[in-house]
Amino acid sequence: MRQFFSICAVITLAGVSFAQDIRVPADVTAGNDAVISTSGSGKATFYLSGPGVARKADVNLGESIPLSSKELTNAGSYLAIVCSDACHSGAFCVIPDKPASLSFLVHPSRVPVALNDAVSGIAFPFDQFHNFVLAPGTVNFQFTAGKASLLAQPVKMQNGAAWFRTTSGRSAGALQVSATLGDIMAHRVVQQVASDACNLKVEGHPSPGGVFVQTEPVHDCAGNLLPDGTVVTFSATQAHGKSTVDAPIKQGIARAQISASGPTTVSAASGVVMGNELRLEAQR
Amino acid sequence: MSRTIRSTFAVSVARLSLTLLSLTLGSYAADSATAPQVHLDVSKTSPRQVEELTEKGILRDYRLAWSSLAQALELNTLGPLDGPFAGEAKRTLRQSVLGQQHAGLSTRYIGQTHQVEGVLYSPEGDVMELHDTAQYQLQITDGGKVIHDERVLMHYVVLMTPAADRWVIRQLQAVPNF
Amino acid sequence: MKFVIPITLVAVTVVLMALALAGVGRSVENVGIEKGSAVAGFTPRAATPEQAMSNLLLDVQRRNWDRAYDAVSKTSEVTETSFIQDWSGSNGSLRAFSALEGFDARPLHATTDEAQMRVRLHWTTPVGPLEDVRDFRLIREGDVWRAVWPKVQIASVPAQIVPVTYLRWDLVSGGTEEEWGSRNVDAPHVRIISMNAIDSAEGAIVMGEVVNEDTVPAFVNVNAVLVDGAGNPIDDENSFDKIAHVLLPKQVSAYRIDFPKLTLKNVKNVRMDAKATLIPASADPVIGVMNQKLDTDAQGKTVLHGDLLNQSGQTVNIPHVIVSFYDNNGKVVWVGDGYVDKALLAQSSEPFAVELPKSMTGKVQNFHVVVNQYSLGRS
Repeated sequence: MRQFFSICAVITLAGVSFAQDIRVPADVTAGNDAVISTSGSGKATFYLSGPGVARKADVNLGESIPLSSKELTNAGSYLAIVCSDACHSGAFCVIPDKPASLSFLVHPSRVPVALNDAVSGIAFPFDQFHNFVLAPGTVNFQFTAGKASLLAQPVKMQNGAAWFRTTSGRSAGALQVSATLGDIMAHRVVQQVASDACNLKVEGHPSPGGVFVQTEPVHDCAGNLLPDGTVVTFSATQAHGKSTVDAPIKQGIARAQISASGPTTVSAASGVVMGNELRLEAQR
Repeated sequence: MSRTIRSTFAVSVARLSLTLLSLTLGSYAADSATAPQVHLDVSKTSPRQVEELTEKGILRDYRLAWSSLAQALELNTLGPLDGPFAGEAKRTLRQSVLGQQHAGLSTRYIGQTHQVEGVLYSPEGDVMELHDTAQYQLQITDGGKVIHDERVLMHYVVLMTPAADRWVIRQLQAVPNF
Repeated sequence: MKFVIPITLVAVTVVLMALALAGVGRSVENVGIEKGSAVAGFTPRAATPEQAMSNLLLDVQRRNWDRAYDAVSKTSEVTETSFIQDWSGSNGSLRAFSALEGFDARPLHATTDEAQMRVRLHWTTPVGPLEDVRDFRLIREGDVWRAVWPKVQIASVPAQIVPVTYLRWDLVSGGTEEEWGSRNVDAPHVRIISMNAIDSAEGAIVMGEVVNEDTVPAFVNVNAVLVDGAGNPIDDENSFDKIAHVLLPKQVSAYRIDFPKLTLKNVKNVRMDAKATLIPASADPVIGVMNQKLDTDAQGKTVLHGDLLNQSGQTVNIPHVIVSFYDNNGKVVWVGDGYVDKALLAQSSEPFAVELPKSMTGKVQNFHVVVNQYSLGRS
């Protein structure tokens, strides 16, 4: 077995590496042209193999072989091979261009208010050819709710990425999160939603055939109205049985008409939160 | 006559057995040539610790990805790239396969070993960055004629993300060093 | 010589094909019901209540509605149309997709002119086999017995406009090409709030409750993996239809996962997983569960029965009731379910009943009912 070596490391250290008949460039930045020079004379076949590239062409030895920028957009290790009577090869590296975009992952897309370490994000820089840029840098994370800037946090990149974790705000609404690296910016929105119901209160009165019950406007402990569609379960317990209705909140209030007769105890629950109890005399 | 029938039958059975045996050995040889050996170390991954089940999933899916990559580039077929790859990695590999098809080339990755280290696991567990020091025999052929055959040592930076039922490679990028 | 076996195989094949085409073994009689023909179980003149019941149910089974209605006493206050609808279902109900597979009838009491029969009806339905128990009254008219059909009660709901003002959620899918991380809509956040594993006669059962903690509707499935002492999985199953799959925000549903023919003897751990996906949904219809009560039915079984009241303006084709039964510590000790085979019309109610196994009757102190519903042509 031949001695192991890292193709790109040797190239990088030596500057230029060449087989007997072929000379390859040093590191090439993605999206740039490059040239491979050959020596000798006569016809040969040229091969280029790399990430996203596999080319074969007839060439004349002694002439330069141009590599177009379009062939060298993907960062990675490339192999140039020239075959005439024998095959000779040389390897070179294409390195990423400067950052042109940020892939910015933020979680979650919806978060209850006032939750510790609930919002997190991570940013990866990519060049214009979608190569992962590992060069060091600092990403600035900014958090804004409405017009108010809540927090700005610069984070040094490690292994080509920068990440954050933070607590969600106290008010329901859109939390704008942005990541900036130099003049590149990525922007995400996290919906801060009301948390679990707090002080769930039920009121009601007898009505024909039973009782009519409704909640007071349902808020979480931070004062945010619970969103429409949230289910409140009303229960009416009487001597001869129990009746329940899963009623969705509309404009902050859940309402239900429940069949009952005689003395009835009414209660409500939303998720795992219980409300108060109410004793009514239902109409028969 | 009965002895002739028996001996003919015996020869047929022997031939069938030998054929099956050679096919099995052949497929084993093929499997051992392309089956990558992967060693994964996630002890230094941060900021999130890698869960035990996740570690097993990453190991399984990374091995499968390289096996599929080798198969795709050797046989010049796009099918094996569908499951284990996504995003930029899939696009680049597809381009490689199509380029090879056009040029009549084929690439073999033989005797792969991968020393993989987890360096980054996002807070929500939705992306993992791995550094892979890979060694394999790289063989390139043109219409069956070997034009390049070399044992290489490569460094890859890999981004993997969770898909519906597996982890997929989203970015597979060779770098000079880590 | 080497061709003996192949030639033999071909020859046998040809012979068998010829036999099949010649129709050997085929019945030469006509297939189908003919008036007066001998059909297994059918008696031309029902001289006893058992014969009358059997004739009626056989005709229902074969959907011979004219002949089945002939077996009903004319003193019954039911039209043929209502009679047929009672059996064959309507409004896209579960009954409309079901077939009567079989029945077991036994007499409750009989005099010379009147009899009462209890019939256990076995239905095959899209949701599996269902059983129904009905009592029939039969009277003797001349020398023939006939069934007396009760009047079919149809809810009288006045024509009205019912506005739908409840929230509806739609789901917009992202485009096929997307920048990584640019479109981020998380799956709904659901949480398993309780889990209880027990052994039963049919096998091991894992049950409990799950809540949608998110602010958007979720389509939920709960999986369970039984793990042995060495950490190896023994079996894995999911909740199938023993869960209300569509959970609105903050809605709680029971779930039950059955492991047939397994016991918990070798199980050291149960690995639970609740999978939730985004789904378009509507907060309508609202279905109330009224007059819930644990009782003993006519067969001596403990059932939770009540009425489902459809408070909306749309028909619910197939209502499905899932019940969590709790002990005095609030722990889920049983999850039962039952389908209502009649459609739940707008602004009207239908009864339901869910059986509680005898072994559980002493433990149950409370219960919670959730209604799953399938409406044709709606998401």
